[in-house]
Amino acid sequence: MAAPFVLVVLVAVTVRAALYRSSLAVFIAERVEVASPLNAWKRVVEGLALLDLGVSPYSGAVFHETPLIIYLFHFLIEYAELVFMITDVLTAVALYLAIQDFNKVVFKKQKLLIELDKYAPDVAELIQTPMEMHYIPLKVALFYLLNPYTVISCVAKSTCAINNSVIAFFILATIKGSAFLSAVFLALATYQSLYPLTLFAPALLYLLQRQFIPIKLKSKSFWLYTMQYASLYLCSLVVIICLSFFLLNSWDFIPSVYGFILSVPDLTPNIGLFWYFFAEMFEHFSLFFVCVFQINVFFYTIPLAIKLKEHPVFFMFVQLAIISIFKSYPTVGDVALYMAFLPVWSHLYRFLRNIFILSCVLIFCSFLFPVLWHLWIYAGSANSNFYYAITLTFNIGQILLISDYFYAFLRREYYLTHGLHLTRQDGTEAMLVLK
Amino acid sequence: FQDQAEQFLRSGHTNNWAVLVCTSRFWFNYRHVANTLSVYRSVKRLGIPDSHIVLMLADDMACNPRNPKPATVFSHKNMELNVYGDDVEVDYRSYEVTVENFLRVLTGRIPPSTPRSKRLLSDDRSNILIYMTGHGGNGFLKFQDSEEITNVELADAFEQMWQKRRYNELLFIIDTCQGASMYERFYSPNIMALASSQVGEDSLSHQPDLGIGVHLMDRYTFYVLEFLEEIHPASQTNMNDLFQVCPKSLCVSTPGHRTDLFQRDPQNVLITDFFGSVRKVEITTEALSLDRDVAGSESKFPEEELATEPLKYAEQLPVAQIIHQKPKQKDWHPPGGFILGLWALIIMVFFKTYGIKHMKHVF
Repeated sequence: MAAPFVLVVLVAVTVRAALYRSSLAVFIAERVEVASPLNAWKRVVEGLALLDLGVSPYSGAVFHETPLIIYLFHFLIEYAELVFMITDVLTAVALYLAIQDFNKVVFKKQKLLIELDKYAPDVAELIQTPMEMHYIPLKVALFYLLNPYTVISCVAKSTCAINNSVIAFFILATIKGSAFLSAVFLALATYQSLYPLTLFAPALLYLLQRQFIPIKLKSKSFWLYTMQYASLYLCSLVVIICLSFFLLNSWDFIPSVYGFILSVPDLTPNIGLFWYFFAEMFEHFSLFFVCVFQINVFFYTIPLAIKLKEHPVFFMFVQLAIISIFKSYPTVGDVALYMAFLPVWSHLYRFLRNIFILSCVLIFCSFLFPVLWHLWIYAGSANSNFYYAITLTFNIGQILLISDYFYAFLRREYYLTHGLHLTRQDGTEAMLVLK
Repeated sequence: FQDQAEQFLRSGHTNNWAVLVCTSRFWFNYRHVANTLSVYRSVKRLGIPDSHIVLMLADDMACNPRNPKPATVFSHKNMELNVYGDDVEVDYRSYEVTVENFLRVLTGRIPPSTPRSKRLLSDDRSNILIYMTGHGGNGFLKFQDSEEITNVELADAFEQMWQKRRYNELLFIIDTCQGASMYERFYSPNIMALASSQVGEDSLSHQPDLGIGVHLMDRYTFYVLEFLEEIHPASQTNMNDLFQVCPKSLCVSTPGHRTDLFQRDPQNVLITDFFGSVRKVEITTEALSLDRDVAGSESKFPEEELATEPLKYAEQLPVAQIIHQKPKQKDWHPPGGFILGLWALIIMVFFKTYGIKHMKHVF
């Protein structure tokens, strides 16, 4: 399926190139939904200019990128647009190959379970066939490349594209089964923005499954593999951080990057939940609530790991979504990454309950963001509450989308093992309820 | 000696200024704008010219879309008196009325580009009238619904004015709720202050107009204006009469005043010392000749002046050189150790993943 893929890539590159040349590029680059203090292009240019003037880019709260990004853009700053287009294409390629492999794994597992007679007799319509799974990798690449969020993110030259690319390569390495590469890319992703740390659990579960190691707390091989993977990950992280030290011969980047992500000092409005809350908060309580909000991101890993230990790739999808909803400076580029995975779960469509309303909510909110921003900042007839309301609605839409998919997934698993037509003890039709 | 003592006790001012501030915006605060404009009208009528009045109105009531009688601001019900008109010069309007601008006007610390009409160009012989109205509380006055000025800030601003010799005497009138709290903290000499209500009391508005739909004036200013309507440039009414204006029976709140910082007895202070611009004219019957001889006496020092070099512009780069100036070369390069380390790591990862045997294909 190389030809349609190449066609999709060409279309995507054309769209981006056209937008770069148009007057919209400047308008889009300034939008707060796309450029956060962590990944705005303006700040990268500012940091590099500071470096040329002999000042550390981390002095002053302008530049919050990691030293490896400094190194990358030091030589490539004139070709920035090309770099971002190539990054997007690489992400799409990585996702394409990853989902292709994942489909093979799913299909093999399904075949195994059918032969072992684990499925109920009347679930033939729920089983995925290779025919319908054939186009899923292409659809994933399409969803990522032609998603308006990704296009806008690329036109704004937000380094979120690089974050997405590293995470995509991490997913590719995990699904291919290479623990070493997966640990290296996960370390890179964590080094870039702290939150992919939570993707350690799904990656570990997937690799364990692939090695056929049972996930029991008492099993020695489980702990051995976990220790191996964790040590690979931690060593690569330490090596990368130490290497970054040598770029500027200072540890300045740690408070500027990680301190900034964790303590959220910049309260510019964005599509996330932190800014409004902390804009109104008294100093006395801000530490407590910062901790609460940050724990909220990491908190869902363990319960999800317990529930979804048989389905680590779905776990990874849910975890990515949770990261992009609850992180301290989300942008639409983060949303685009997990939305690219939605075609993989397209077989869950019949179990989704609120998909129409949620897609309407998400689309309307995306259109209302610039409108209410204009009304608040330029026209002066609205205030921050209006913008925050849309932020809240957008995030609620995203959360409900994820929980809808989660519920649909679990429901399908239940039906697969217990049959499609559930009956109670007295023979009448039963309803499946998530408690 | 009697004459000299009387000269001493008479105010020694040579010019009058007025700073009239209305600090609230929105249609329902119509009365504050009407207050300020009424005082403006009186002060102009008594002789202070527009060039010596700094009028700050935080909102535009005359052209407000909710005004049923556009281009007018009435101060009496039944629309008897329009205090707006063709010759109202507002110096600071709308969002320019901020605490910062007000303090800059008072202290004179204004950017050089500010036009003259927005400056308080007073000197040490100026008598200044400062009238403020709006919404206030105990110790503060609210500006524009988004910030406040405290009594301490105001007192410090007046002290700055005193130290910079920006006033001879100052009359501060404030018509807000708990207005007396605003003059509690003054500590500079020659300030007299009046307020419409004491701490803990609210200043009330006078009368609503059913046609316009809002209250048109505040009580204190209304009665002050009735009082001022009887003043003309030659009247000898003094400050004690102003203190009696608006007793509790009419105003509901208790107006207050403060004269301990003032050098002269309020009995001897004329209303027109502050509200009017009464020039002291000295009539002389002698003739003065302005001859060349007067100018000739200054020719003592021109020789030294000629010795200085004529000033000229600094040397400039020729234009061609400026146009073709190359952009500055990037001075920073990543250290060699870093590049080496990074690429060594990348190569290590590559070969670990794909095996050493691929090295055969490289070489």
